[in-house]
Amino acid sequence: MADVSLRNLTKAWGGFTAVRDQSLEIRDGEFMVLLGPSGCGKTTTMRMIAGLEEPTAGDILIGGQRVNDLPPRDRDIAMVFQSYGLYPHMTVEDNIGYPLKLRGIKGAERAAQVRAAAAKVELEPLLHRRPKELSGGQRQRVALARAIVRRPTVFLMDEPLSNLDAKLRVSTRAEIKHLQHELGVTTVYVTHDQIEAMTLAHRVAVMQGGEIRQLDTPEVIYDRPADLFVAGFIGSPPMNLVDGDHADGRFTAAGGFHATTGVARHGGRAVLGVRPEDVTVGPAGSGDLDASIYAVELTGDAVLVTVQAGAARIIAKADRAWRAEIGSTVALRLDASRLHLFDAASTKRLQPE
Amino acid sequence: MQDRRLKYVLILPAALLVLGTTIWPLAVSLVTSFRDWRLTRSLTPGPFIGPEHYVTALTDDPDFANALQVTASFVAIDVALTVVCALGLALLLRRAGVLHSLTRAVLILPFAVSPALVGISFRFMFNAEMGVFTWLAGAVVPWLQGYVWLADPVAALLVLVFSDAWRWVPYMTLVVLGGLSALPKEPEEAARIDCASEWQVFRDVTLPALMPVLAVVAILKTVFALKMFDQVVTLTGGGPGQSTVTLAYLVYSIAFRWYDMGYASAVAWILTAMLVFLAVWYMKLILRKPGGA
Amino acid sequence: MNGTRATAARRRKLVMKGLESAILLLALFLILFPIVWMALTAFKRPVDLFELTLLFTPTLDNFRTIFAAPWNIGAALWNSTVVAGLTVLISIPCSTLAAYAFSRFEMRFKGALFFTILATQFIPAVVVVLPFYLLFRDLGLLDTHLALVIVNLAIVTPFAVWMLKGFLDAVPTESEEAALVDGATRLRVILDIVVPMVWPGVLVTAVFCFILTWNEFLFALILTRDNAVTLPVGITRFRTERGDLWELIAAAGILISIPMFLLSSVIQRHFVRGMTGGAVK
Repeated sequence: MADVSLRNLTKAWGGFTAVRDQSLEIRDGEFMVLLGPSGCGKTTTMRMIAGLEEPTAGDILIGGQRVNDLPPRDRDIAMVFQSYGLYPHMTVEDNIGYPLKLRGIKGAERAAQVRAAAAKVELEPLLHRRPKELSGGQRQRVALARAIVRRPTVFLMDEPLSNLDAKLRVSTRAEIKHLQHELGVTTVYVTHDQIEAMTLAHRVAVMQGGEIRQLDTPEVIYDRPADLFVAGFIGSPPMNLVDGDHADGRFTAAGGFHATTGVARHGGRAVLGVRPEDVTVGPAGSGDLDASIYAVELTGDAVLVTVQAGAARIIAKADRAWRAEIGSTVALRLDASRLHLFDAASTKRLQPE
Repeated sequence: MQDRRLKYVLILPAALLVLGTTIWPLAVSLVTSFRDWRLTRSLTPGPFIGPEHYVTALTDDPDFANALQVTASFVAIDVALTVVCALGLALLLRRAGVLHSLTRAVLILPFAVSPALVGISFRFMFNAEMGVFTWLAGAVVPWLQGYVWLADPVAALLVLVFSDAWRWVPYMTLVVLGGLSALPKEPEEAARIDCASEWQVFRDVTLPALMPVLAVVAILKTVFALKMFDQVVTLTGGGPGQSTVTLAYLVYSIAFRWYDMGYASAVAWILTAMLVFLAVWYMKLILRKPGGA
Repeated sequence: MNGTRATAARRRKLVMKGLESAILLLALFLILFPIVWMALTAFKRPVDLFELTLLFTPTLDNFRTIFAAPWNIGAALWNSTVVAGLTVLISIPCSTLAAYAFSRFEMRFKGALFFTILATQFIPAVVVVLPFYLLFRDLGLLDTHLALVIVNLAIVTPFAVWMLKGFLDAVPTESEEAALVDGATRLRVILDIVVPMVWPGVLVTAVFCFILTWNEFLFALILTRDNAVTLPVGITRFRTERGDLWELIAAAGILISIPMFLLSSVIQRHFVRGMTGGAVK
């Protein structure tokens, strides 16, 4: 087990910079999630840690040792790939045993370790099948077993759940979390799915354009997004963002939208953010402002109400029993303690005093 | 990483093979083409004489002019015939049907036949006395009865084209079929729903989408037609007269009948220059495509 | 109104269908007839040769004759097998390694290098054979298997590199990367992971190259005389001063073609890729 540190890491191909001067300290035993949209550099970062890509500049340290010039096999890491990267011509047993075979572990010793790893992910009955005879979920387990079989110092997981169906994703997610907790191995996990990031991570690094926009615990990232990008990226449905003007702690937007922000020292163009669950709809006249209903969507556990407030459309999460006609007028009440204000020019968060 | 050197090591054997078996002889031919070297006079290369061979070939050699003209005619007819037939056949074969799948199944056969054998078989079938194609042509068109195909300069060239097309059209049909199957169906279906006739669908939707594949077919066929040699030897022997002497066959004659290595190399290099020009064009075409090659 | 229009459309459709069938039948005839005719001729006695009837007494004499002296087609069969086999055996491993490097690595001059290797397949064989003829003459290698193998490598290697790169490009790299992370060296990855995964492609390429070499004519015509004569040149020997021995040509033709028919049908689905290198799927 070891900590991983990235120091001023840059990766560029020709004119395109995938990762820009990025530094990150991953603690021993930590579950670190790199989260971002496709093309944000998260996978490139992970591949550089693995040794599958060479950094253009900067250093990678695993357990305090600089590993830039080490091939993947000398970095003592294990990786789970997006499409699992199984060896199609080998049985499950041989797939899991391959890392051991390469380390010269033979015969009964190898079989026992393979069996133990397979048991952890409930694969024992399938040991003699080939990957193409397995379901997606089973293949995923083979990849996991192959990663844990030799107790690496670092786990790397590249979108390991993205090829599973929704139901399996939820259960496997819990298994990965449990496994990481049990083994205590430093884990770097790449995903574009914010739910995975929120549920799995000790800390999340939200990335965009090759840079880390915010690095913190899931709670902080959700409650205090550092900038507009993080605010818009985290949360489903996403945070409502309204463009407007801010002066003397008061935010106003076209069409009579207004709110009190508690940020005194800022004036000018700003963006107000409020999460759907922090907006309540009620009878007209009972809230901060009245607006007409644009759409009502039932999701099962809640009702998403989209209202047209001036130029902006605001989504509110209402109780699942809530009903209203499209076009009727309702009142919106914004939870003043959970408003987010961002400077329009810098996109940075403005923290209330 | 360690791959830095390894990748060059991996390429080395193949690179050496290509260097030794192609680049080296090309270079030697080029040098020889500037020399006076007749094997009948000397076993060792003669003196350098500058571009004299090239000047002779391009300005003062009726044989070369003839071969150039024969090759040009052959290429033009052969390529046009191949592209049109392959496209037409592929369009028909795209549909389902017993006859269709039967035809699709045999398309592969002609290409597996040695070109030399194709030439000799066609010589047999166009035999003046009782070749089966001679007879068939006579049976269909009465005034062709007993026609001596291979004795007529124009007909001999056409038979040569026929023998080459027999080998290539089915193969190129497979290529076009491959291209057709890779096309998305939606645009054609959308056009049909927009009331386009089958001809309009073909002209406005299918053909433009298929152009890259047809370009590949045309250029490849041009390359192979320019190199035409095997069937010339086994089908017409260059005759009657010199009416089917292609450039490749001319090089062979100069080198191995008259043993004029210098001049043969020069003519070979003129042919090579044309092909390299086509090669560059072709490679740009296919390497430009993402995922191509 | 609608009814007549429908009838007209139906009739037109029927006519088109008939036309289509007629064209396909003609295509089938044109493709198959020369092969069938050659096959029939191979079983004919010389007296039946120019009889255009399908009714004749078949004989195996022609096959006996071509294997006997003075024709000894068996020797040409052996030469063709050895030359094609050795060419493939040398070319495929080298080409596989090169194709792998081209498929997986970025390198300086990669474009130019790949381009050069591929462009060589456009070079006319006749320009390549001149220096080799002189070289082999000086080395005393004319009319040997070795000479033919060397020049055939010139044709086969660029094709093989191109084809194999197409197959390798289609193999996802994740398994290889997994093996690298699992602790394998790059060579180990190639042997343990890549080769088993791309094995069908290697086989297809090998078969394709075997067919190319087997049917090769120009090199064999110029570089062999007696000992190393291959089948395509061998059949031209049946055109004697006494006339063309068509029944023997046909028998030898069957001998050349049958193995190639079998091989090409094995790799049918991939045959197209051979020459177009995946430019056409």
